[in-house]
Amino acid sequence: MLSIKIKDITFNSPIIAASGTFGYGYEVKDMVDLNKIGCVITKSITLESREGNPQPRLHMSSSGMLNAIGLANVGVNKFCRDKLPKLDNLGTNVIISIAGSCIEEYINILKIIESSNGKHIGYEINISCPNVKKGGMEFGINSEITNKLTKALRLLTDRLLIVKLSPNVTSIEDIALAAESGGADMISAVNTFLGTAIDYKTGKFSLSSKFGGLSGPAIKPIALAKVNKIYKKVNIPIIGMGGVSSFQDVIEFIRLGSTLVQMGTLNYRDPSMICNFYDEIKLFIEESEFSSINELVGKFDE
Amino acid sequence: MNKAINKKLKSKFYILLSMRKWPIEYIDWRLTTAYPKGWKFALLHPIILIKDLWRYLEWCQKIDEDIK
Repeated sequence: MLSIKIKDITFNSPIIAASGTFGYGYEVKDMVDLNKIGCVITKSITLESREGNPQPRLHMSSSGMLNAIGLANVGVNKFCRDKLPKLDNLGTNVIISIAGSCIEEYINILKIIESSNGKHIGYEINISCPNVKKGGMEFGINSEITNKLTKALRLLTDRLLIVKLSPNVTSIEDIALAAESGGADMISAVNTFLGTAIDYKTGKFSLSSKFGGLSGPAIKPIALAKVNKIYKKVNIPIIGMGGVSSFQDVIEFIRLGSTLVQMGTLNYRDPSMICNFYDEIKLFIEESEFSSINELVGKFDE
Repeated sequence: MNKAINKKLKSKFYILLSMRKWPIEYIDWRLTTAYPKGWKFALLHPIILIKDLWRYLEWCQKIDEDIK
């Protein structure tokens, strides 16, 4: 009823834990029922290890959160050696998020992970991080580079290739189209919105990097609009995200064109909340005229 | 007034209590997310840690209200 098949991969549930909100994946295995999650996306992995931006790098804002973590991670070699083996028997699908500052870096990361022969089902290509000085969002705002990068990575793997888009563009659907024609299997949309916070008394920025990415319930209406724009333009499945905080939100994303839905900021509140949605969606489907969640994809009133 | 303050404090306490289920590996990752050197930074800067924890609990309360 809630399972979804994409290519030859079965997802037990349409709900996914977003990158950077569930650690590398294994840290939460004793806290949540992973059978109720379609997949876990790891923290973004870069070629070299990164400490990220100086503190403060998190700011709790109204109905959301500003983050400027700056892709803190252990680097691809340590990831393959220490983290990847722990993900092989996690109990749900694993997708590895990768980020780089140039096309060659993305290629090298993918090659190293592929050579480790992990059981992960695919990669989410983060071309939309607003919190790094070099790379990240620079890719996500340019159709040509997005296309070139996707084509280059497509040649290196048969696993699912998902391109994660930035909402900080004029026409997100054009970037999605570029990823699709480059060979992407799916589109993830949307990453965080560029934002800032300042102390009205001192004039001091709340984040060390001044600007960060806004996520949480505050961005949901904008994220829904972006997902629907992409849905009308591309033919590959979409993973919608942005401010999901209830099972109703998940259904809204699905109705507007998402096949799967990621949950992010709410995991910072309580990582076990994600499992509750599974039961609530199941009940909703049972009580509706639909026999499976697949029938709801793109079911909106024209 | 006092009742409202007590209620807020009580809810913060319950959020803290629910965090006792967090495994060490998860706490370590959360600290790494918040601070450049993770738990080492937290140990060396306990006042920052306590202030941030308080802000986090307040944020949890706001998010809980939003979800409701």
